[in-house]
Amino acid sequence: MLRVSLSQLSTQFRRFIAIGLAVLLAVAFLSSTLMVGASTQASLGASVGEAYRKAQLVVTPKDGGGLSQAAVDAAASAPAVAGSYAERYAAVTIDDGGSEQIARVRNLAPAAMEPSVLLSGRYPAAADEAAVDSTTAGRLGLSTGSELTVGTAGAPTVAGKPRTLTFRITGLLQPSNDPFAAPFPQLLAADGTVASLASGSAGQGSEGHGGTGFTGLQLQLKDGQDQAAAVGYLGQRLKAAGAGDALVQTSGEKVTAAVAQMSGGQDQLTIILLAFAGVAIVVSTLVVANTFSVLVAQRTRELALLRCLGAGKAQIRSSVLFEAAVLGLVSSVLGVLAGAGLMAALIAWARTTPEQSFATLAVPPSAIIAGLLAGTLLTVVAALLPAKAATAVAPLAALRPSDDASLRNKRGRVRLWLGLAALAAGVPLLVLGAMFNMLLLAMPAGALSFVGVLLCASLFIPPAVAAAGKLASPAGVPGRLAAVNAVRNPARTSATAAALLIGVTLVTLMMTGAATSRQAFNAMLAENYPVDLAVRVDGADGADTAALRKIEALDGVQAAVLLKAAGTITAPGTAADGSPVFAISPGDAAAVLRDPALRPQADTVYLPERLVLGKVTVTGAGGTHSFAGRTLRTGSIEPLMDSTTAAPLLGGPAGTPGTAGSAQSASPAGALPRAAWLKLDDGLSAERIQAIQREAAAAFGVPVHNVSGAAVERVVFNSIIDVLLLVVTALLGIAVVIALIGVANTLSLSVLERTRENSLLRALGLTRGQLRGMLAIEAVLVAGVAAVLGSALGIAYGWLGAKAALGPVADVVPVVPWLQLLGVFAVAVVAGLLASVVPARRAARLSPVQGLATT
Amino acid sequence: MLSKHYGKADAQVKALDGVSVAFEAGRFTAIMGPSGSGKSTLMHCLAGLDTPDAGRIVLGGTEISALNDRQLTALRRERIGFVFQAFNLVPTLSAEQNITLPLALAGSTADPAWFDYIVGTLGLKDRLTHRPHELSGGQQQRVAVARALLTRPDVVFGDEPTGNLDSKAGGEVLAMLRRSSQELGQTIIMVTHDPVAASYADRVVLMSDGHLVGELENPTADSVLAALGKLGA
Repeated sequence: MLRVSLSQLSTQFRRFIAIGLAVLLAVAFLSSTLMVGASTQASLGASVGEAYRKAQLVVTPKDGGGLSQAAVDAAASAPAVAGSYAERYAAVTIDDGGSEQIARVRNLAPAAMEPSVLLSGRYPAAADEAAVDSTTAGRLGLSTGSELTVGTAGAPTVAGKPRTLTFRITGLLQPSNDPFAAPFPQLLAADGTVASLASGSAGQGSEGHGGTGFTGLQLQLKDGQDQAAAVGYLGQRLKAAGAGDALVQTSGEKVTAAVAQMSGGQDQLTIILLAFAGVAIVVSTLVVANTFSVLVAQRTRELALLRCLGAGKAQIRSSVLFEAAVLGLVSSVLGVLAGAGLMAALIAWARTTPEQSFATLAVPPSAIIAGLLAGTLLTVVAALLPAKAATAVAPLAALRPSDDASLRNKRGRVRLWLGLAALAAGVPLLVLGAMFNMLLLAMPAGALSFVGVLLCASLFIPPAVAAAGKLASPAGVPGRLAAVNAVRNPARTSATAAALLIGVTLVTLMMTGAATSRQAFNAMLAENYPVDLAVRVDGADGADTAALRKIEALDGVQAAVLLKAAGTITAPGTAADGSPVFAISPGDAAAVLRDPALRPQADTVYLPERLVLGKVTVTGAGGTHSFAGRTLRTGSIEPLMDSTTAAPLLGGPAGTPGTAGSAQSASPAGALPRAAWLKLDDGLSAERIQAIQREAAAAFGVPVHNVSGAAVERVVFNSIIDVLLLVVTALLGIAVVIALIGVANTLSLSVLERTRENSLLRALGLTRGQLRGMLAIEAVLVAGVAAVLGSALGIAYGWLGAKAALGPVADVVPVVPWLQLLGVFAVAVVAGLLASVVPARRAARLSPVQGLATT
Repeated sequence: MLSKHYGKADAQVKALDGVSVAFEAGRFTAIMGPSGSGKSTLMHCLAGLDTPDAGRIVLGGTEISALNDRQLTALRRERIGFVFQAFNLVPTLSAEQNITLPLALAGSTADPAWFDYIVGTLGLKDRLTHRPHELSGGQQQRVAVARALLTRPDVVFGDEPTGNLDSKAGGEVLAMLRRSSQELGQTIIMVTHDPVAASYADRVVLMSDGHLVGELENPTADSVLAALGKLGA
């Protein structure tokens, strides 16, 4: 029997291409998803590991703390230790083309332990020498011998000016890919210099003052020392030195831990991708099952012959399953290879950009094993029902034309009941999952209900096609024949339509889901980040209007408004005490606020989410008044009120508010802070936004850090959405291709099956053109009905799915992308047409006599 | 007394209506009759492909009308050979693989001497590696005959085995069947409506409207035609 299966596969492999392709795509998707996760980890490991490449052991202080000199000495002086490097960092500011930028200064390690790579020059030796990474050097026009002046960030100013230090550049370094260092300009200086810089900067978390706080200690062991023993021994010594909570790890462990800490979000991406891969696998399974059914139906006579020759039911079943297993395995191997190839290409592409040069391809065994297992199992599971159908073939069928399965036979009825049961269980659970935002309930329930829909396809598709068939009657005899033909064999019509239904439902689901999610995300972003940029303005207000005009004229600025604080909040003992409340007119609110729901109402003060007050007392120049407090679901906004409501606060004579002690002491007495709020164009780059920030600060003559706002965050969020949508689109493409393969296959096989009856019609006087027209109309009828039903299902599933997934974080309003749906409908109809055209031509070319002789 | 009905109530067709017949071992018997006479139904029942509504069928001591599907499968594999009118061969297997298929299904292998003898006798030696579509109609039927004979079954059933062949190829196949009956003692039961084909048999059983209506020993084409003519009258 195996021989029969193998001969089937080798001689009829064209029939199996469609199945193989569907499996291949799903497996490639799955295994490349798993490789994305592993490759990201490997890439991170490669980049994090750079900092520790000369070390065997790494001592890390307890989170956020520092290592004392005593602890470093205790560990470094251990007999097993050959070399040590106590790391420390200082943050400085450098003048980067007019704007201040934070740079990171690291102390130089002993020569044997220094992890950086020197491109030119030498390492710094004297206190006023430094090496800088080549990227920064290029940007700032630095070379060996030039000077760089840095400001000590965050240090108290001396006589109104920040303390500065001038370095002479001694060498250029290869830029580090370490994700902790890479975002900043990287400087390397002598230990003493870094220590004095670090001691001056507050908020570094260093414990001891006077430059004794080290962020970590890298150790090299003497040859032949046991690492595990050294870890324990060093732990003891550190404990004795009062740093018992410091962690001693091998450099490998340290890298693994750092990667694990950093890749939490990455894991979520992998999970989301896996969910999509799961959908692709479900689609493939349905397409494969459908195609296998048709293949088995086509082989009815052959199977019956085998039964006549003494093949048992078990043999028939196992032969079909064996075919499926071989086919699944071969397709899975190709799928895994395709997935690996895709990832290798992506990684190679990523490596061409300098920031991603550490990208590393990792092919975890799990990606290979999961791909092979999933693909093979998918095919075998999909073949289970067709295999069962194959065993039901009676030996007599070899001698008689077989009767097609219809509603009236037992199998049809069992299927129907199963389908109704799946619907009865799936639909309420899906709705429940969507209402209560339980994705883990909604997803399997949705899949179950869709399986129910497919099992019941023979219940609703034939009547729907028959109803649509009435539209075809103006096309004359071929039209009427097509309408009758399309429903003459309900099982075949249902199977053909179901394949297309799967594809269309999925595509529509994705489109509706994506549109709905995007809408929800945008609404959420607008609520969380109502203001793009806010400039805090202090000092005299004479030039405000001119500055505002200047900002409004900037490229990328849509609107800019100037707000004045009406007063400050009086709420002793709370964080709100002393906060200024800004007044905004309704027109200004509409112009700059992203959240359409945020339009200040009368007698209400709107508070950021960190401030929760039921009643707000505000003191302004015109007196003290109380208003209702409403806390918004956003942290990135200042307390806010309507300008009309604020009028009484401003009205009175100028005077110092009663709460002067806790009010903004930085601003001159009596002058409440002012602010300029900006709304930017959509789709600006992060660089452009930073430029606008600088220019806005310059216009008002305030430091850049006076400009805050969510514009950059919005860009980041939007790029995340774009990436997610890209992933969805990629999945969409794959699912569409899989579905189209199924459609084309089912339709062409279905036309092939009817060679005889079409020849009979030809013998009875149907012209070739009429025959072609008849088949085309029939295909369009089936495809159109499947597209319409699928769109309706997809909209429902997409909305419920988006609600289940995003319900907890955003309000989900269904958005139906009509234009895209129209496109789907057109594609489905054209796919149906195309799938029927080639076989129709073949049927039309065949002479009636030849066709009738075919058995 | 075999009976087999199709349909229900008004539309009922009695395909077999109380047929009682014996086929001797080692002989070549033809079942003849006009279309709808029940000859095919009789053969299907005899071969265990169909079950009678009433009556018993005994093959060499085994009552096959009482067997379940598994037993029937084994019976078809080991004790019965088939030659059909068309679609006799699995299109994806070579001639040799088709011939040995029943043995492969049973998990056994062919006796090489017996295989060579049959293949030689049927003139298929240089055709063994060909696929069915590379063989002529007559060659395909001879492959089917070889397959039926290879398992040394108790009985070989032929269902219009020459129906799709021209008279020369058909004659060759029929001669081969008669030879295997005479030289090897193979029991053969063949359904046909062709008097010439029936004349190759040792005995002809005539059927009409589900009844047994006569039989001929050592028939000729003429005697069969005459007997059929009487039926029609």
